[in-house]
Amino acid sequence: MINHVDKLRRYLRRLVKAALEMLYGATVYEMVRDLHKERAQLEHMFILVVFGDILGIPVLPPYYTLRLLPYVAPCIGGWKRTLLRERDITDLCDQEIT
Amino acid sequence: MNSILILLIGIVAIIVGYFVYAKSINVNVLQPDDKKATPAKMYMDGVDFTPANRNVLFGYQFKSIAALGPILGPIVAVQWGWLPALLWIVLGTFFIGWVQDYSSIMLGVREEGQSFGALSYRLISPRSRSILITFIYFYLLLIMGAFGVQVGFSLLTNPAVPLGVIVVILVGILAGQMTYKWKVDIILTSVITVVLAFVAIWLGTQPFAKTFFSNLFAYTKDADGKLVSPTLFLAVTQAKFIGSLLVVIICYFGAVLPIWRWAQPINYVAFWIVSLGILGGVVGLLIARPGMGDFPAYTKFTIGIGPLWPMLFVTIACGAISGWHSLVSSSGTARQIEKESDALFVGGGAMFFEMIFAIVAFLTATAAFGSFQGYQDAGGGAAAAAVFSKGLSAFMNQWGLDRMLGEGFGTAYGSVFLTLMALTIMYLVVRFMRVASAEALGDSIPLFRNVHVGSVVALLLTLVLIWLVPFLQIWAVFGAANQLMASLALLLVTVWLKSKGKKYQWTFWPFVFMFVTTIGALLYKAYEAFFINLPKTADPVANKIASVGQFTLAQVIIGGVSLVLVVAALLLAWDALKVLQGSKAPAKAEA
Repeated sequence: MINHVDKLRRYLRRLVKAALEMLYGATVYEMVRDLHKERAQLEHMFILVVFGDILGIPVLPPYYTLRLLPYVAPCIGGWKRTLLRERDITDLCDQEIT
Repeated sequence: MNSILILLIGIVAIIVGYFVYAKSINVNVLQPDDKKATPAKMYMDGVDFTPANRNVLFGYQFKSIAALGPILGPIVAVQWGWLPALLWIVLGTFFIGWVQDYSSIMLGVREEGQSFGALSYRLISPRSRSILITFIYFYLLLIMGAFGVQVGFSLLTNPAVPLGVIVVILVGILAGQMTYKWKVDIILTSVITVVLAFVAIWLGTQPFAKTFFSNLFAYTKDADGKLVSPTLFLAVTQAKFIGSLLVVIICYFGAVLPIWRWAQPINYVAFWIVSLGILGGVVGLLIARPGMGDFPAYTKFTIGIGPLWPMLFVTIACGAISGWHSLVSSSGTARQIEKESDALFVGGGAMFFEMIFAIVAFLTATAAFGSFQGYQDAGGGAAAAAVFSKGLSAFMNQWGLDRMLGEGFGTAYGSVFLTLMALTIMYLVVRFMRVASAEALGDSIPLFRNVHVGSVVALLLTLVLIWLVPFLQIWAVFGAANQLMASLALLLVTVWLKSKGKKYQWTFWPFVFMFVTTIGALLYKAYEAFFINLPKTADPVANKIASVGQFTLAQVIIGGVSLVLVVAALLLAWDALKVLQGSKAPAKAEA
């Protein structure tokens, strides 16, 4: 009996958690996503200015490039993918514009 | 029939459709493999590709796909009787709706998160991308026209509504300021802004606000006691002119201001107003459990909009199947799917949930009034938004909303709710239209790269549609364009499934049905415009045509847009069918 009550309680807890996650997805998630995007775009812009030569953009490597390299290295993969990815106008059918 | 029984039919459709049919397709055909890295994981960049929890994505997907379509479509379609409308909502979702949403996500997931423009270029033909963009532009313009007519002409001309809408928008801007600039806690922000919004809606129903807007609209009462506003030009009255301008101004700011400053926080506040309205309506529905009274199951085959086939199937779009879902699913959701097995829950699940939403809207037209006459007195299909707000109000009054906040509050709340639902989509559609025009025309006419020019052009075209074309005509063509987009999405998925050697009949036959039906609907609307309606201008008095100039222009616009859409769809389908038959290799199809 106790086992069943426990099971029911756990099930209800999972249900409430799922409902709250859905609510989050329909409300605040978009804001959080946009903030992440904004941060990432600023970061990518910064890397482009300092490390653009990695992609063949003729940026004169400044003194700070080498000093910043250890901090920027983990982001370089994602930055290259984002910058070089082919884009299409139908990409904009995402929530940010619809 | 009792409303509870209808809700039960919807629930049974979900159980059989989702847990039996959809799961069997999922397991046997697309065979999701959680060991495969999804684009969200493979290309995670914190910008476009980010893995998200399946429940969170479900909420995101539902919010992205549920707008005014599932509400207005069923209310217009019950003019054929409640049975055809209900059958199409349930069977359309069961056999086609979820198929499109789910397969579009899986297509995006398996093809490295590419969106439909890139996929049609690669899988069908290079020109198909340009056709698709042209098609989408017209389709979005029709959304603007259809929603704009309902908001500007039907909802905002009620003197109890404009104050509520204006203040909710101001409150939304405040929410953005509080969240992003003042860094106020989101729960506190939500409570303050939503309470302020409700106070504003209530103030809108008070005599001072109604008198102010009645004077602004120059309303007088006619012999029947109806409010009449003076006609300014064509058939546009002063009330409708101000209402439509308000819509355009709101959309302009939504299109040119940063997303965090306008669109996003207003959408956020609107979400709570809409959700609480739906909740209140459903609670009232469950308390009252109304029947449909003498509402006929079937009226006749041909009504004002046209014959049941093909017109019913384009009149109810989003509640059964919608092309917009495929665009959102492939470009947005597919890039956030954490595991392949989540795709069915997110895509299929959200679509089945939207079906329930459409059924609730259907009940506001059929069960809320308890009679066909009541539905017609509330405005009928031509004023679908007004029918919904009155129907929702009738449900909410079951638990005493009218006793608590006054007689007219429920209807005003329903109207503000619908206006916000439409506006939150409209200004974002204008954003897309200005980007699309910059992309298509920016090289030849650099002026279009300017955000203001692109937005103003889109809004002027919208005003032309709002002022000239009657709602039922524009709604039918919008629905057809939407469904045609869906059929093209199904075609793209079919081409992809075939290229991968997988079973494709479950997407091919829905494509055939939707394609034939929507091409038929568009051709019918073009025929009706040029060969039935235009000749009526020869005798405007007998045909009750108030303005011959407006009527003629409306028919030319509707007929012309229908034909453009038909040509675009046929070209795209021709290219795709060549690929499907194997007589032409796709541009760069992968093995």
